[in-house]
Amino acid sequence: MNSRGFSALVSCAAAWVVPGAGHFYLGKRRRAGVFFLVVLATFFLGLLNEGRAYVADGQQPLSYLATLTNVATGPVELLSRQATYHRLVYQLPSDENSPEAAAILSAMRSKVKSVTDEYGTTYLLAAGLMNMLLILDAFDIAIGRKS
Amino acid sequence: MLRSHFLNMLVFAALVSVFFGFLTQNERRERLKVMTILFLSMVVLSLLIAYAMFPFPLTSAR
Repeated sequence: MNSRGFSALVSCAAAWVVPGAGHFYLGKRRRAGVFFLVVLATFFLGLLNEGRAYVADGQQPLSYLATLTNVATGPVELLSRQATYHRLVYQLPSDENSPEAAAILSAMRSKVKSVTDEYGTTYLLAAGLMNMLLILDAFDIAIGRKS
Repeated sequence: MLRSHFLNMLVFAALVSVFFGFLTQNERRERLKVMTILFLSMVVLSLLIAYAMFPFPLTSAR
């Protein structure tokens, strides 16, 4: 792997782990700081507004995209999953009558009862989408497609 | 927790505007221009859509 390829790989991985870290690695420190603050502010506003992290549900194909978007925020996303379901869960069990599925659905419904749930969920998704764009932007800068 | 719909909209629009301003522009002046246009577009269009929906009832007619 050449140095550009290695740099692209490291910057993309860093951008996923910590929002803005990819840009920091590539020397764009001021922008990195702004991205770090904006993405994390969006994410924590989602948590404060009682947003819920999505779980992949076989009966709802779009839930896979929403779950992927949540995961794109990086490891900090585990906080929202823990806050929503009190456990780290990514997929709804196929047997909806199982105790585990009942616990997950119950945790989800308790969040939906919150007045600000939809705002919070939107903030959480927006943080994930922003970080996806940051990963792609870091890749473009690393391979020299963008300054 | 932000319970105000309007405040939520302003905060969300501000965060998204700053993000795209820094993502798409390198010059300070251009960045500010993009941020302002995005922020005002989101807020003004949301208010216009809200007013357009105002005559419609919240519950469906029986």
